[in-house]
Amino acid sequence: MSEPNTPEVPPAEAPSGPYRYDLAASPQRQIVLPKTAPVPSLATYKAEVLAQAAADEAKWQKQLADFEVAKAKAEAEGKDAPKAPVRAVPRKDDNDLKTPWPVEAVDPDLLSLQGLLGDRAEEIFQQAGELVCQVKKEAILEALELCRDEGDLRYEMLADECATHYPAGKDFTFSVVYHLTSISRQKRLRLRILIPEGFAPASACEIYPSANWMEREIYDMLGIRFTGHPDMTRILCPEDWEGYPLRKEYPTVGWGQRDIDFREDRGGVLNRIAMTTAGQLGINLKQPKAD
Amino acid sequence: MFKNEEMEINLGPQHPSTHGVLRVKLRLDGETVVSCKPVIGYLHRGVEKICENKSYFQGQVWTDRMDYVASISNNLGWAEGVEKLFGIEVPRRAKYIRTLLTEQNRLASHLLWLATHALDIGAMTVFLYAFREREYLLDLFESFCGARLTTTAFRIGGLREDLPPGFIKQAQVFQDRFLDCVDEYETLLTENRIWKKRTIGVARLNAEDCIALGVTGPVLRAAGVPYDIRKAFPYAAYGEMAFEVPTRTEADTYARYLVRLAEMRQSHRIIQQCLEGLPEGPVMAKIPKILKSEVNEVYHPIEAPKGELGYYFVGEKGGTMPYRMHVRAPSFVNLQALPKMVEGRLLADVIAAIGTLDVVLGEIDR
Repeated sequence: MSEPNTPEVPPAEAPSGPYRYDLAASPQRQIVLPKTAPVPSLATYKAEVLAQAAADEAKWQKQLADFEVAKAKAEAEGKDAPKAPVRAVPRKDDNDLKTPWPVEAVDPDLLSLQGLLGDRAEEIFQQAGELVCQVKKEAILEALELCRDEGDLRYEMLADECATHYPAGKDFTFSVVYHLTSISRQKRLRLRILIPEGFAPASACEIYPSANWMEREIYDMLGIRFTGHPDMTRILCPEDWEGYPLRKEYPTVGWGQRDIDFREDRGGVLNRIAMTTAGQLGINLKQPKAD
Repeated sequence: MFKNEEMEINLGPQHPSTHGVLRVKLRLDGETVVSCKPVIGYLHRGVEKICENKSYFQGQVWTDRMDYVASISNNLGWAEGVEKLFGIEVPRRAKYIRTLLTEQNRLASHLLWLATHALDIGAMTVFLYAFREREYLLDLFESFCGARLTTTAFRIGGLREDLPPGFIKQAQVFQDRFLDCVDEYETLLTENRIWKKRTIGVARLNAEDCIALGVTGPVLRAAGVPYDIRKAFPYAAYGEMAFEVPTRTEADTYARYLVRLAEMRQSHRIIQQCLEGLPEGPVMAKIPKILKSEVNEVYHPIEAPKGELGYYFVGEKGGTMPYRMHVRAPSFVNLQALPKMVEGRLLADVIAAIGTLDVVLGEIDR
């Protein structure tokens, strides 16, 4: 096994738990946490558009002022007047993209839902033809019940429920979205709540029994516990799995040989270490050809 | 009445009639199922996590590996979901070809379901007949995209290539004989006394329970609810197609069998319309080499052979990878209904119930 040129290999350290993951074990591939929390929202979008317009206007005013100064200077020195500035127009890309921005809610469903919920509805808007209603996290059960039972809403089916991790969120860490379908009226609606770490939202199982497995999956993947759920256990991962895989800080590499990035291994040293480690672990890897 | 001692047995995860690696924990009183608990996750690969670390173009290959008997449907859901996220309009010819291939894939999926379901229940012959036609369809897919199962048939914005020369002719050969083939399956099963005895009244799930449990697809339509996403929320070129949504009201295994056979005939009709009305023109929209998203979220549902297949995307500003990707897999949600279907029934009916739900474990565990 040991060749003359093989460096001394430290014994492979076994992981302390069966599924423990250790960020320090793969220093080259530290997870870069997202810096923004992309929660689509009409209010945020409007604020961004206004800020952008103000920035553009300020830039233009500065250009104009600079031009006046330069012009006055040139006149005083008897030189030719400088070129007048031209206001930049946004460059139009030569492609077929039409980004669906959030727009004001005009759909009667959203308006009536807002009327029913009152101040428990935080925001309503439409985006890409989809209806979105963000409700207060404590009021999600009432909102779901209204959507199912109210005469002019009648969203009979909970098609999907899923959650997203936002480590950069200001006063929330997760969003949970509920995709409702009205089979009789052929419409769709998305309800959304924003919740902080450790908050346990009420389970939708009482209202929509189909939420049972979906909420178990959310718990399994993101670690959100739902209160009032009949069976809050892991569903896809084993019961003794550590960590929640769909959180953004969860690494995408495992423990062991895969920590070695062979593309950066110019001298082939790491490769040989990997070979030896593999031999110790009883894995048969083919030796690479010598240069 | 006296009660036997209850016995707990495991069905699967290596049992061939569980269609993969499904494990069902059963409590039996004699041969009667007292309680049933599906245990899943043996095929979990973390597709959602992987796709969050791949670009919008790269993630599509993972969708083949979810529902691997209907991979073109999965490709369509991904491609259309991303197109909705970016606001890309696909050329009409590409839409038609997508519809054509997706319907052929629905046929392939239903044929595999028919073959294995009948095999589970004990009718061996139809397996060979169904696989004969499925082979032909897989050869057609191979001529289009070079792969039989893991197709990655579409590109975001349209198609990579137009149909290969001779494809339409070959597809027409299949079209001309397929309806006779469906009749052939029917002669083997529809009036077969054993088949009827094993399926009529077995694994009932009425419409209220279906809707409450989120069950979609042929199972819901066999309970009398004419809900088909191709009709309710048309996508691809389905808005221009004439077809019917077959329903039954018995809500049992036999009704689902009849609904799926009727669906095959309707798919045949859609394919014929696509072949005849295929418009000319480009097959790819103009899209940039790198797609950079804005803050946006979309949920795009399509009617996969098993039911509602939904893709949920969250994009971040300037991101080339989805911030969050979630798949609403029809088999995952449909499998929730298994306890409701089999509790209080006989053990042998569990096999029929798993077959009639048409689950694919690659999609359930993702």
